Amino acid sequence: MNILIVILILLVLITVLMYNSLIGKKNQVDNIFAGVDAVLKKRYDLIPNLVSSVERYMEHEKSVLEKVTELRAEALKPDLTNEQKIAYDQKFSALLGSITVAMEAYPDLKANENVIHLQRSLSEIEEQISAARRAYNQSVTNLNNAIEMFPTNLLAGWMNLSRRAVFEITHNERQNVNVKELFNRS
Amino acid sequence: MKSVSELTDFYYKELYPQLSELEKTRIAILSQMKFYGVIGIVIFLVIALWIGKHFGLLSPFIIFLFIGIVALGGVIYNMLIRDYTKDFKERIITPLIQAIDPQLSYTPYLFLPRHLFERSALFNHSIDRYGGNDCVRGSVHNIPIEFSDIHAEYRTRDSKGKSQWHTLFRGLFLVAEFNKNFKSKTVVLPDLAEKTFGDLIGGWLQSINLSRDKVIQLDDPEFEKQFVVYGNDPIEARYILTHSMMQRIVDFQKKIPHPLFISFVQNHIHVAINTGKDLFEPSVFTSLLEYKQAMEYVNTLQYTIGLIEELKLSEKLWSKI
Repeated sequence: MNILIVILILLVLITVLMYNSLIGKKNQVDNIFAGVDAVLKKRYDLIPNLVSSVERYMEHEKSVLEKVTELRAEALKPDLTNEQKIAYDQKFSALLGSITVAMEAYPDLKANENVIHLQRSLSEIEEQISAARRAYNQSVTNLNNAIEMFPTNLLAGWMNLSRRAVFEITHNERQNVNVKELFNRS
Repeated sequence: MKSVSELTDFYYKELYPQLSELEKTRIAILSQMKFYGVIGIVIFLVIALWIGKHFGLLSPFIIFLFIGIVALGGVIYNMLIRDYTKDFKERIITPLIQAIDPQLSYTPYLFLPRHLFERSALFNHSIDRYGGNDCVRGSVHNIPIEFSDIHAEYRTRDSKGKSQWHTLFRGLFLVAEFNKNFKSKTVVLPDLAEKTFGDLIGGWLQSINLSRDKVIQLDDPEFEKQFVVYGNDPIEARYILTHSMMQRIVDFQKKIPHPLFISFVQNHIHVAINTGKDLFEPSVFTSLLEYKQAMEYVNTLQYTIGLIEELKLSEKLWSKI
């Protein structure tokens, strides 16, 4: 009888510990995503400035710049899910990369102090975003592992926890940007 | 910055007159030491025989005598090499450091203040005795840098109330400005737990280390195998430890045969290399002209000052210019 009680207490204790660790992991993910969100916002804040300083020079890339502005407005909408924010970040990284490459063709632009300033701030924010993405991916991996691994998966199912998406390096990012194709498309 | 071979050349060519003079002093000191050594042994034997005759050979007096003679020997040794050490630091180490970078200043008797060592948060133990020497200060590629030998110790008492001294850290301690701004604290330590107990138990042991912040798992397998990272901000830790920075730290660790401790606190990088001995001291029992000896001085200086280049600390972020 005594042994049964001990086993029961142990089981309850283990369940409580597992429950707490799952909650801890979930909160860690949300917590870090708040950090990701903050640096992403910082980048979105720079966009109007960047667009207004380069559009006078970059006549041929007007459509790309318009697309960036549109995308920014969409990305700043409230009530976006984390997954949507991640998707917007990926689109932005690809577009901004292509703008930077296209700027190479404009010597006046490269010499403009305002633009140099913006570019440098942008690359600094890019580094912060990359760090935030890595931190987020690690915390999501920890949570996803717990959700899938035995025995925490049993509890996770009951708690309605589901897998989260990680920031992936997009196909575009991995390939060298083909600027010509990008501009012809739109 | 000059390469190791250029510096070795400098050591042998430019410093040769001073070296050969110091080498003569060294040989003279060595023969003096032999002389005192023989006298010491004779005195010990005579008194020990006398004690043995009167109190028996196993008497505690013999142990006291032995300790006394050894202590006296230590005092004489230090007296003998004091001027030689001073000369060596002035005439060999000073020009060597100047040759590496004229912007660096060298003060043999100074060391980095204790508050910097404590700020680094590399060693959590309380410190009861703190000292050092051979302080180098200045800037390399416009990055302020300072380093010195540090010996930090703590004291314990056994059940009888006897105090014992333990070395917490002995080696080179370096502080330099970091090229990024950050508010958090990130500590990189050699991964002893994982090496000894393997991934699973070692990882668990690290995660329950109460005296440290949270373990931060990083996405570089080689770095993870060698180091464990504790920090209070997972995002900033990754902002500091980028993939290239982790690679550079792994490469740097390969170059030096001692455990490497690194921390990032208050916009500064703190590096402690646990060599276990006092650096830049003149050799007494081996020749100053010996290649191995020369290489030790040159190598230590080169990798310490070269750290700025190695970790690319001079590539400042634009907002820090």
